Amino acid sequence: MNSQPGLSFEQAPPFHQPLRFFLTAPLFLLVAGVLLAMESGGLNSRWSAGALALTHALTLGFLAMVMLGALMQILPVVAGSTLPASRTVAMVSHAALTLGTTFLMTGFLRSSPVALGSGIVLLLTGFMVFIAAATISLMRVAGSDTVRGMRHALASLALTVLLGGLLALIRAGWENPPMIEGASTAHAGFGLLGWILLLVAGVAYQVVPMFQITPPYPLLLRRWLTGVLFVLLLLRALVPLHAAPAVFVIDACLAAGMLMFAFVTLRLQSQRRRKLPDITLDYWRTGMTSLIACVAVWLPAQCWPAWAKSDARPLLLGVLFLYGFAASVVTGMLYKIVPFLAWFHLQAQHQAKAGTIPNMKQMITERKMRLQFRVHLAALLLLVAAVAWPNVLHIHAGIAVALSSLLLLSNMFAALRLYLKHGGRMS
Amino acid sequence: MANHPEEILIDARWLEPPEPMEKVLHTLALLHSGQTIRLLLHREPFPLYLILREKGYAHETMPQPDGSYVILIRRVSAE
Repeated sequence: MNSQPGLSFEQAPPFHQPLRFFLTAPLFLLVAGVLLAMESGGLNSRWSAGALALTHALTLGFLAMVMLGALMQILPVVAGSTLPASRTVAMVSHAALTLGTTFLMTGFLRSSPVALGSGIVLLLTGFMVFIAAATISLMRVAGSDTVRGMRHALASLALTVLLGGLLALIRAGWENPPMIEGASTAHAGFGLLGWILLLVAGVAYQVVPMFQITPPYPLLLRRWLTGVLFVLLLLRALVPLHAAPAVFVIDACLAAGMLMFAFVTLRLQSQRRRKLPDITLDYWRTGMTSLIACVAVWLPAQCWPAWAKSDARPLLLGVLFLYGFAASVVTGMLYKIVPFLAWFHLQAQHQAKAGTIPNMKQMITERKMRLQFRVHLAALLLLVAAVAWPNVLHIHAGIAVALSSLLLLSNMFAALRLYLKHGGRMS
Repeated sequence: MANHPEEILIDARWLEPPEPMEKVLHTLALLHSGQTIRLLLHREPFPLYLILREKGYAHETMPQPDGSYVILIRRVSAE
Protein backbone atom coordinates (compact mmCIF):
# COMPACT_ATOMS: atom_id res chain seq x y z
CA MET A 1 0.00 0.00 0.00
CA ASN A 2 1.29 3.44 -0.74
CA SER A 3 -0.16 6.87 -0.21
CA GLN A 4 0.93 10.28 -1.42
CA PRO A 5 4.10 9.47 -3.39
CA GLY A 6 6.69 12.25 -3.34
CA LEU A 7 5.48 14.08 -6.39
CA SER A 8 3.58 17.35 -6.31
CA PHE A 9 1.99 19.41 -9.02
CA GLU A 10 4.73 22.02 -8.66
CA GLN A 11 7.28 19.34 -9.58
CA ALA A 12 5.40 18.25 -12.72
CA PRO A 13 6.84 19.92 -15.82
CA PRO A 14 4.88 23.06 -16.78
CA PHE A 15 3.18 22.90 -20.20
CA HIS A 16 5.74 25.12 -21.93
CA GLN A 17 8.60 22.70 -21.18
CA PRO A 18 7.61 19.80 -23.45
CA LEU A 19 5.61 22.09 -25.76
CA ARG A 20 8.67 24.01 -26.94
CA PHE A 21 10.14 20.69 -28.16
CA PHE A 22 6.86 19.70 -29.84
CA LEU A 23 6.46 23.04 -31.65
CA THR A 24 10.08 23.15 -32.85
CA ALA A 25 10.14 19.58 -34.21
CA PRO A 26 7.76 20.08 -37.19
CA LEU A 27 9.92 23.03 -38.33
CA PHE A 28 12.85 20.65 -38.94
CA LEU A 29 10.52 18.35 -40.86
CA LEU A 30 9.54 21.38 -42.92
CA VAL A 31 13.21 22.18 -43.58
CA ALA A 32 13.79 18.54 -44.60
CA GLY A 33 10.86 18.72 -47.03
CA VAL A 34 12.08 22.00 -48.56
CA LEU A 35 15.65 20.66 -48.92
CA LEU A 36 14.37 17.54 -50.62
CA ALA A 37 12.15 19.50 -52.99
CA MET A 38 15.03 21.81 -53.92
CA GLU A 39 17.49 19.10 -54.94
CA SER A 40 17.47 15.37 -55.59
CA GLY A 41 20.94 14.85 -54.03
CA GLY A 42 19.39 13.70 -50.77
CA LEU A 43 18.04 10.60 -52.49
CA ASN A 44 20.97 9.77 -54.76
CA SER A 45 23.44 8.39 -52.23
CA ARG A 46 23.33 7.98 -48.46
CA TRP A 47 26.78 9.61 -48.16
CA SER A 48 25.93 12.77 -50.11
CA ALA A 49 25.90 16.03 -48.16
CA GLY A 50 22.19 16.41 -48.96
CA ALA A 51 21.36 12.94 -47.61
CA LEU A 52 23.34 13.53 -44.39
CA ALA A 53 21.65 16.91 -43.83
CA LEU A 54 18.20 15.41 -44.51
CA THR A 55 18.83 12.40 -42.26
CA HIS A 56 19.90 14.58 -39.34
CA ALA A 57 17.04 17.05 -39.84
CA LEU A 58 14.78 14.06 -39.37
CA THR A 59 16.67 12.16 -36.64
CA LEU A 60 17.80 15.12 -34.51
CA GLY A 61 15.52 17.99 -35.46
CA PHE A 62 12.26 16.06 -35.58
CA LEU A 63 12.57 12.66 -33.86
CA ALA A 64 15.01 13.39 -31.01
CA MET A 65 13.30 16.76 -30.43
CA VAL A 66 9.91 15.12 -29.84
CA MET A 67 11.40 12.13 -27.99
CA LEU A 68 13.28 14.30 -25.46
CA GLY A 69 10.20 16.47 -24.84
CA ALA A 70 8.01 13.39 -24.51
CA LEU A 71 10.43 11.61 -22.16
CA MET A 72 10.46 14.66 -19.93
CA GLN A 73 6.70 14.36 -19.70
CA ILE A 74 6.28 10.60 -19.73
CA LEU A 75 8.71 9.89 -16.86
CA PRO A 76 6.42 11.44 -14.22
CA VAL A 77 3.33 9.75 -15.74
CA VAL A 78 4.58 6.20 -16.10
CA ALA A 79 7.29 6.10 -13.45
CA GLY A 80 6.30 8.83 -10.98
CA SER A 81 9.75 10.45 -11.27
CA THR A 82 10.60 13.88 -12.66
CA LEU A 83 13.89 15.05 -14.17
CA PRO A 84 16.12 16.87 -11.65
CA ALA A 85 16.39 20.61 -12.44
CA SER A 86 13.87 20.00 -15.20
CA ARG A 87 13.52 23.69 -16.19
CA THR A 88 17.26 24.12 -16.77
CA VAL A 89 17.56 20.73 -18.48
CA ALA A 90 14.63 21.56 -20.81
CA MET A 91 16.03 24.98 -21.65
CA VAL A 92 19.62 23.84 -22.27
CA SER A 93 18.77 20.65 -24.18
CA HIS A 94 16.14 22.38 -26.35
CA ALA A 95 18.40 25.30 -27.26
CA ALA A 96 21.43 23.04 -27.86
CA LEU A 97 19.46 20.57 -29.97
CA THR A 98 17.86 23.32 -32.08
CA LEU A 99 21.07 25.26 -32.71
CA GLY A 100 23.28 22.15 -32.87
CA THR A 101 21.12 20.50 -35.53
CA THR A 102 21.02 23.72 -37.57
CA PHE A 103 24.84 24.04 -37.42
CA LEU A 104 25.36 20.36 -38.22
CA MET A 105 23.09 20.56 -41.27
CA THR A 106 24.84 23.74 -42.43
CA GLY A 107 28.18 21.99 -41.90
CA PHE A 108 27.13 19.09 -44.14
CA LEU A 109 25.59 21.26 -46.87
CA ARG A 110 28.36 23.89 -47.02
CA SER A 111 31.23 21.48 -46.14
CA SER A 112 32.11 23.89 -43.35
CA PRO A 113 34.37 22.46 -40.61
CA VAL A 114 33.50 25.41 -38.32
CA ALA A 115 29.75 24.77 -38.60
CA LEU A 116 30.24 21.01 -38.13
CA GLY A 117 32.45 21.56 -35.07
CA SER A 118 30.02 24.06 -33.51
CA GLY A 119 27.13 21.70 -34.18
CA ILE A 120 28.93 18.82 -32.50
CA VAL A 121 29.87 20.84 -29.39
CA LEU A 122 26.26 22.02 -29.00
CA LEU A 123 24.75 18.60 -29.61
CA LEU A 124 27.16 16.86 -27.23
CA THR A 125 26.38 19.45 -24.54
CA GLY A 126 22.61 19.26 -24.99
CA PHE A 127 22.41 15.48 -25.12
CA MET A 128 24.79 14.91 -22.22
CA VAL A 129 22.84 17.32 -19.99
CA PHE A 130 19.63 15.51 -20.87
CA ILE A 131 21.09 12.00 -20.55
CA ALA A 132 22.60 12.81 -17.13
CA ALA A 133 19.29 14.18 -15.82
CA ALA A 134 17.25 11.29 -17.26
CA THR A 135 19.73 8.75 -15.82
CA ILE A 136 19.34 10.25 -12.33
CA SER A 137 15.56 10.21 -12.74
CA LEU A 138 15.56 6.58 -13.91
CA MET A 139 17.85 5.50 -11.05
CA ARG A 140 15.25 6.70 -8.54
CA VAL A 141 12.50 4.39 -9.79
CA ALA A 142 11.93 0.64 -9.65
CA GLY A 143 13.03 -1.18 -12.79
CA SER A 144 9.77 -1.81 -14.65
CA ASP A 145 9.85 -3.12 -18.24
CA THR A 146 9.30 0.41 -19.55
CA VAL A 147 12.06 1.83 -17.34
CA ARG A 148 14.45 -0.91 -18.56
CA GLY A 149 13.60 -0.03 -22.18
CA MET A 150 14.26 3.64 -21.44
CA ARG A 151 17.63 2.85 -19.82
CA HIS A 152 18.73 0.79 -22.85
CA ALA A 153 17.51 3.55 -25.17
CA LEU A 154 19.40 6.24 -23.24
CA ALA A 155 22.62 4.18 -23.22
CA SER A 156 22.22 3.77 -26.99
CA LEU A 157 21.67 7.51 -27.36
CA ALA A 158 24.88 8.25 -25.46
CA LEU A 159 26.85 5.88 -27.74
CA THR A 160 25.18 7.32 -30.87
CA VAL A 161 26.09 10.87 -29.88
CA LEU A 162 29.71 10.00 -29.03
CA LEU A 163 30.19 8.07 -32.27
CA GLY A 164 28.45 10.87 -34.18
CA GLY A 165 30.84 13.39 -32.66
CA LEU A 166 33.80 11.30 -33.77
CA LEU A 167 32.43 10.95 -37.31
CA ALA A 168 31.72 14.66 -37.62
CA LEU A 169 35.23 15.55 -36.45
CA ILE A 170 36.65 13.23 -39.10
CA ARG A 171 34.45 14.89 -41.73
CA ALA A 172 35.60 18.29 -40.47
CA GLY A 173 39.17 17.35 -41.33
CA TRP A 174 40.57 15.27 -38.51
CA GLU A 175 42.75 12.34 -39.46
CA ASN A 176 40.78 9.37 -40.69
CA PRO A 177 41.36 6.56 -38.17
CA PRO A 178 41.03 2.84 -38.98
CA MET A 179 37.60 1.29 -38.32
CA ILE A 180 35.83 4.39 -39.65
CA GLU A 181 33.29 2.24 -41.50
CA GLY A 182 32.60 0.31 -38.30
CA ALA A 183 32.08 3.57 -36.37
CA SER A 184 29.59 4.81 -38.92
CA THR A 185 27.67 1.49 -38.94
CA ALA A 186 27.61 1.48 -35.12
CA HIS A 187 26.46 5.14 -35.06
CA ALA A 188 23.49 4.29 -37.29
CA GLY A 189 22.81 0.99 -35.44
CA PHE A 190 22.72 2.53 -31.95
CA GLY A 191 20.79 5.56 -33.22
CA LEU A 192 18.09 3.74 -35.13
CA LEU A 193 17.75 0.31 -33.52
CA GLY A 194 18.98 1.39 -30.08
CA TRP A 195 17.72 4.87 -29.24
CA ILE A 196 14.61 4.93 -31.46
CA LEU A 197 13.41 1.31 -31.54
CA LEU A 198 14.18 0.51 -27.88
CA LEU A 199 12.53 3.71 -26.65
CA VAL A 200 9.45 3.07 -28.80
CA ALA A 201 9.30 -0.52 -27.48
CA GLY A 202 9.72 0.53 -23.83
CA VAL A 203 7.06 3.23 -24.18
CA ALA A 204 4.79 0.89 -26.19
CA TYR A 205 4.58 -1.52 -23.22
CA GLN A 206 2.75 1.30 -21.39
CA VAL A 207 0.97 3.37 -24.01
CA VAL A 208 -0.41 0.68 -26.34
CA PRO A 209 -2.40 -1.07 -23.56
CA MET A 210 -3.18 2.33 -21.95
CA PHE A 211 -4.53 4.25 -24.94
CA GLN A 212 -5.78 1.46 -27.15
CA ILE A 213 -7.11 -0.69 -24.27
CA THR A 214 -5.39 -3.84 -25.48
CA PRO A 215 -4.14 -6.84 -23.49
CA PRO A 216 -0.60 -6.29 -22.11
CA TYR A 217 2.48 -7.26 -24.13
CA PRO A 218 3.59 -10.85 -23.38
CA LEU A 219 5.69 -10.96 -20.21
CA LEU A 220 8.71 -12.64 -21.84
CA LEU A 221 8.86 -10.05 -24.60
CA ARG A 222 8.55 -7.16 -22.13
CA ARG A 223 11.25 -8.59 -19.91
CA TRP A 224 13.82 -9.53 -22.54
CA LEU A 225 13.36 -7.76 -25.86
CA THR A 226 15.08 -4.42 -25.24
CA GLY A 227 17.96 -5.98 -23.25
CA VAL A 228 18.65 -8.66 -25.87
CA LEU A 229 18.51 -6.14 -28.72
CA PHE A 230 20.88 -3.82 -26.83
CA VAL A 231 23.41 -6.64 -26.29
CA LEU A 232 23.11 -7.59 -29.97
CA LEU A 233 23.86 -3.99 -30.94
CA LEU A 234 26.94 -3.99 -28.68
CA LEU A 235 28.12 -7.26 -30.27
CA ARG A 236 27.42 -5.88 -33.75
CA ALA A 237 29.62 -2.88 -32.96
CA LEU A 238 32.46 -5.07 -31.67
CA VAL A 239 32.48 -7.77 -34.36
CA PRO A 240 34.74 -6.83 -37.30
CA LEU A 241 32.69 -6.03 -40.41
CA HIS A 242 34.57 -8.58 -42.52
CA ALA A 243 33.47 -11.44 -40.23
CA ALA A 244 30.52 -12.00 -42.54
CA PRO A 245 28.90 -15.06 -40.90
CA ALA A 246 28.87 -13.45 -37.43
CA VAL A 247 27.53 -10.18 -38.85
CA PHE A 248 24.79 -12.07 -40.66
CA VAL A 249 23.74 -14.00 -37.53
CA ILE A 250 23.60 -10.81 -35.42
CA ASP A 251 21.69 -8.91 -38.10
CA ALA A 252 19.24 -11.80 -38.47
CA CYS A 253 18.62 -11.79 -34.69
CA LEU A 254 18.08 -7.99 -34.74
CA ALA A 255 15.65 -8.38 -37.66
CA ALA A 256 13.82 -11.15 -35.78
CA GLY A 257 13.48 -8.87 -32.74
CA MET A 258 12.08 -6.07 -34.91
CA LEU A 259 9.59 -8.44 -36.55
CA MET A 260 8.53 -9.86 -33.19
CA PHE A 261 7.86 -6.40 -31.75
CA ALA A 262 5.96 -5.25 -34.87
CA PHE A 263 3.80 -8.36 -35.19
CA VAL A 264 2.98 -8.56 -31.46
CA THR A 265 1.99 -4.86 -31.48
CA LEU A 266 -0.26 -5.34 -34.52
CA ARG A 267 -1.85 -8.44 -32.94
CA LEU A 268 -2.50 -6.64 -29.63
CA GLN A 269 -4.03 -3.69 -31.48
CA SER A 270 -6.36 -6.03 -33.34
CA GLN A 271 -7.56 -7.26 -29.90
CA ARG A 272 -8.37 -3.79 -28.52
CA ARG A 273 -11.51 -3.55 -26.42
CA ARG A 274 -12.84 -0.43 -28.12
CA LYS A 275 -13.10 -0.50 -31.88
CA LEU A 276 -13.54 3.27 -32.36
CA PRO A 277 -11.46 5.06 -35.05
CA ASP A 278 -8.26 6.46 -33.57
CA ILE A 279 -5.63 8.43 -35.43
CA THR A 280 -2.83 7.28 -33.10
CA LEU A 281 -3.75 3.67 -33.83
CA ASP A 282 -3.54 4.36 -37.59
CA TYR A 283 -0.14 5.97 -37.12
CA TRP A 284 1.13 3.01 -35.07
CA ARG A 285 -0.12 0.53 -37.67
CA THR A 286 1.69 2.50 -40.40
CA GLY A 287 4.81 2.44 -38.21
CA MET A 288 4.69 -1.30 -37.53
CA THR A 289 4.01 -2.11 -41.21
CA SER A 290 7.03 0.03 -42.16
CA LEU A 291 9.18 -1.84 -39.63
CA ILE A 292 8.16 -5.14 -41.22
CA ALA A 293 8.88 -3.64 -44.67
CA CYS A 294 12.42 -2.75 -43.45
CA VAL A 295 13.13 -6.43 -42.84
CA ALA A 296 11.61 -7.29 -46.22
CA VAL A 297 14.06 -4.84 -47.86
CA TRP A 298 17.06 -6.07 -45.82
CA LEU A 299 16.51 -9.82 -46.31
CA PRO A 300 16.99 -10.15 -50.12
CA ALA A 301 20.36 -8.38 -49.82
CA GLN A 302 21.70 -11.45 -47.98
CA CYS A 303 21.45 -13.64 -51.09
CA TRP A 304 21.40 -11.05 -53.89
CA PRO A 305 24.74 -9.18 -54.00
CA ALA A 306 23.54 -6.63 -56.58
CA TRP A 307 20.81 -5.46 -54.17
CA ALA A 308 23.27 -5.50 -51.26
CA LYS A 309 25.57 -3.09 -53.13
CA SER A 310 22.79 -0.92 -54.54
CA ASP A 311 22.65 2.73 -53.44
CA ALA A 312 18.86 2.45 -53.29
CA ARG A 313 18.82 -0.21 -50.52
CA PRO A 314 20.17 1.90 -47.60
CA LEU A 315 18.10 4.87 -48.77
CA LEU A 316 14.93 2.78 -48.90
CA LEU A 317 15.72 1.36 -45.44
CA GLY A 318 16.26 4.91 -44.17
CA VAL A 319 12.96 6.15 -45.61
CA LEU A 320 11.01 3.17 -44.25
CA PHE A 321 12.62 3.23 -40.80
CA LEU A 322 12.85 6.98 -40.20
CA TYR A 323 9.77 8.29 -41.95
CA GLY A 324 7.58 5.16 -42.16
CA PHE A 325 8.25 3.77 -38.69
CA ALA A 326 9.74 6.41 -36.37
CA ALA A 327 8.07 9.60 -37.68
CA SER A 328 4.70 7.81 -37.83
CA VAL A 329 4.86 6.51 -34.25
CA VAL A 330 6.18 9.84 -32.94
CA THR A 331 3.45 11.85 -34.72
CA GLY A 332 0.81 9.43 -33.47
CA MET A 333 2.07 9.94 -29.92
CA LEU A 334 2.06 13.73 -30.31
CA TYR A 335 -1.68 13.49 -31.00
CA LYS A 336 -2.17 11.88 -27.59
CA ILE A 337 0.40 13.84 -25.58
CA VAL A 338 -0.39 17.43 -26.64
CA PRO A 339 -4.22 17.25 -26.22
CA PHE A 340 -3.77 15.42 -22.90
CA LEU A 341 -1.34 18.00 -21.54
CA ALA A 342 -3.53 20.92 -22.66
CA TRP A 343 -6.55 19.35 -20.96
CA PHE A 344 -4.59 18.28 -17.86
CA HIS A 345 -3.00 21.68 -17.20
CA LEU A 346 -6.32 23.50 -17.73
CA GLN A 347 -7.96 21.09 -15.32
CA ALA A 348 -5.28 21.58 -12.68
CA GLN A 349 -4.93 25.34 -13.05
CA HIS A 350 -8.60 26.20 -12.93
CA GLN A 351 -10.00 23.74 -10.43
CA ALA A 352 -12.34 23.36 -13.38
CA LYS A 353 -15.79 21.90 -12.97
CA ALA A 354 -16.82 19.30 -15.55
CA GLY A 355 -18.06 20.90 -18.78
CA THR A 356 -16.35 24.27 -18.33
CA ILE A 357 -13.22 23.32 -20.25
CA PRO A 358 -12.90 21.43 -23.53
CA ASN A 359 -12.34 17.70 -23.19
CA MET A 360 -9.23 16.04 -24.59
CA LYS A 361 -10.84 14.99 -27.85
CA GLN A 362 -11.88 18.58 -28.62
CA MET A 363 -8.30 19.92 -28.39
CA ILE A 364 -7.48 18.88 -31.98
CA THR A 365 -10.40 17.83 -34.16
CA GLU A 366 -10.39 14.33 -35.64
CA ARG A 367 -10.94 15.81 -39.14
CA LYS A 368 -7.75 17.89 -38.97
CA MET A 369 -5.66 15.00 -37.64
CA ARG A 370 -7.08 12.67 -40.31
CA LEU A 371 -6.16 15.14 -43.08
CA GLN A 372 -2.60 15.42 -41.76
CA PHE A 373 -2.34 11.60 -41.52
CA ARG A 374 -3.39 11.23 -45.17
CA VAL A 375 -0.78 13.75 -46.31
CA HIS A 376 1.84 11.94 -44.18
CA LEU A 377 0.91 8.63 -45.86
CA ALA A 378 1.12 10.24 -49.31
CA ALA A 379 4.54 11.66 -48.38
CA LEU A 380 5.73 8.20 -47.27
CA LEU A 381 4.60 6.58 -50.53
CA LEU A 382 6.19 9.39 -52.59
CA LEU A 383 9.45 9.05 -50.62
CA VAL A 384 9.55 5.30 -51.30
CA ALA A 385 8.89 5.93 -55.02
CA ALA A 386 11.44 8.77 -55.06
CA VAL A 387 14.20 6.34 -53.98
CA ALA A 388 13.66 4.60 -57.34
CA TRP A 389 13.18 7.81 -59.38
CA PRO A 390 14.86 10.59 -57.36
CA ASN A 391 15.25 13.01 -60.25
CA VAL A 392 11.57 12.81 -61.14
CA LEU A 393 9.88 12.54 -57.76
CA HIS A 394 12.06 14.42 -55.25
CA ILE A 395 10.01 17.60 -55.71
CA HIS A 396 6.68 15.84 -55.11
CA ALA A 397 8.03 13.95 -52.09
CA GLY A 398 9.61 17.10 -50.62
CA ILE A 399 6.41 19.12 -51.03
CA ALA A 400 4.35 16.35 -49.41
CA VAL A 401 6.75 16.15 -46.42
CA ALA A 402 6.67 19.95 -46.06
CA LEU A 403 2.87 20.05 -46.29
CA SER A 404 2.51 17.27 -43.72
CA SER A 405 4.81 19.14 -41.31
CA LEU A 406 2.84 22.39 -41.75
CA LEU A 407 -0.44 20.60 -41.03
CA LEU A 408 1.12 18.95 -37.96
CA LEU A 409 2.33 22.34 -36.71
CA SER A 410 -1.07 23.89 -37.34
CA ASN A 411 -2.72 21.06 -35.36
CA MET A 412 -0.35 21.59 -32.42
CA PHE A 413 -1.19 25.31 -32.50
CA ALA A 414 -4.92 24.52 -32.58
CA ALA A 415 -4.56 22.78 -29.20
CA LEU A 416 -2.44 25.65 -27.88
CA ARG A 417 -4.98 28.27 -29.05
CA LEU A 418 -7.83 26.44 -27.30
CA TYR A 419 -5.70 26.12 -24.16
CA LEU A 420 -4.93 29.85 -24.10
CA LYS A 421 -8.52 30.77 -24.98
CA HIS A 422 -9.69 28.99 -21.83
CA GLY A 423 -7.22 30.90 -19.72
CA GLY A 424 -4.41 28.32 -19.64
CA ARG A 425 -1.09 29.67 -18.35
CA MET A 426 2.26 28.79 -19.89
CA SER A 427 4.26 28.56 -16.67
CA MET B 1 -31.77 11.99 2.17
CA ALA B 2 -29.30 12.70 4.96
CA ASN B 3 -27.74 9.23 4.81
CA HIS B 4 -25.05 8.90 2.18
CA PRO B 5 -23.16 5.68 1.58
CA GLU B 6 -19.64 5.81 3.04
CA GLU B 7 -18.08 4.90 -0.27
CA ILE B 8 -18.74 5.80 -3.88
CA LEU B 9 -17.44 3.13 -6.24
CA ILE B 10 -15.94 4.14 -9.59
CA ASP B 11 -14.99 1.22 -11.79
CA ALA B 12 -12.81 2.89 -14.42
CA ARG B 13 -10.94 -0.23 -15.51
CA TRP B 14 -10.33 -0.42 -19.26
CA LEU B 15 -11.48 3.12 -19.97
CA GLU B 16 -9.35 5.23 -22.29
CA PRO B 17 -7.39 8.06 -20.63
CA PRO B 18 -8.40 10.59 -19.49
CA GLU B 19 -11.91 9.17 -18.92
CA PRO B 20 -11.03 7.65 -15.52
CA MET B 21 -9.71 11.03 -14.38
CA GLU B 22 -12.79 12.81 -15.75
CA LYS B 23 -15.07 10.41 -13.84
CA VAL B 24 -13.15 11.03 -10.60
CA LEU B 25 -13.25 14.82 -11.06
CA HIS B 26 -17.02 14.65 -11.73
CA THR B 27 -17.52 12.62 -8.57
CA LEU B 28 -15.33 14.84 -6.38
CA ALA B 29 -17.87 17.63 -6.89
CA LEU B 30 -20.60 15.35 -5.45
CA LEU B 31 -18.58 14.07 -2.50
CA HIS B 32 -20.07 14.72 0.94
CA SER B 33 -17.97 15.09 4.05
CA GLY B 34 -16.80 11.75 5.40
CA GLN B 35 -17.40 10.02 2.07
CA THR B 36 -14.67 8.16 0.22
CA ILE B 37 -14.26 7.35 -3.47
CA ARG B 38 -13.12 3.79 -4.20
CA LEU B 39 -11.54 3.92 -7.66
CA LEU B 40 -10.81 0.68 -9.51
CA LEU B 41 -8.23 1.11 -12.28
CA HIS B 42 -6.11 -1.14 -14.49
CA ARG B 43 -3.00 1.04 -14.00
CA GLU B 44 -1.54 3.47 -11.48
CA PRO B 45 -2.83 7.02 -12.21
CA PHE B 46 0.19 9.22 -11.41
CA PRO B 47 -1.26 12.38 -13.07
CA LEU B 48 -4.45 12.02 -11.02
CA TYR B 49 -2.40 12.16 -7.80
CA LEU B 50 -1.11 15.60 -8.78
CA ILE B 51 -4.59 16.98 -9.38
CA LEU B 52 -5.96 15.42 -6.18
CA ARG B 53 -3.20 16.97 -4.11
CA GLU B 54 -3.77 20.33 -5.85
CA LYS B 55 -7.48 20.20 -5.01
CA GLY B 56 -6.98 19.15 -1.38
CA TYR B 57 -7.75 15.42 -1.50
CA ALA B 58 -5.73 12.56 -0.03
CA HIS B 59 -5.40 9.17 -1.67
CA GLU B 60 -4.30 5.70 -0.71
CA THR B 61 -3.21 3.25 -3.40
CA MET B 62 -3.48 -0.51 -3.04
CA PRO B 63 -1.98 -2.65 -5.81
CA GLN B 64 -4.06 -5.78 -6.42
CA PRO B 65 -2.78 -9.30 -7.15
CA ASP B 66 -4.31 -9.18 -10.65
CA GLY B 67 -2.14 -6.15 -11.55
CA SER B 68 -4.95 -3.60 -11.14
CA TYR B 69 -5.17 -0.89 -8.45
CA VAL B 70 -7.68 0.22 -5.84
CA ILE B 71 -7.35 3.92 -4.95
CA LEU B 72 -9.23 5.39 -1.99
CA ILE B 73 -9.81 9.14 -2.23
CA ARG B 74 -11.08 11.43 0.54
CA ARG B 75 -11.05 15.13 1.31
CA VAL B 76 -8.22 16.24 3.58
CA SER B 77 -9.99 17.43 6.73
CA ALA B 78 -9.24 21.05 7.69
CA GLU B 79 -7.77 20.89 11.19
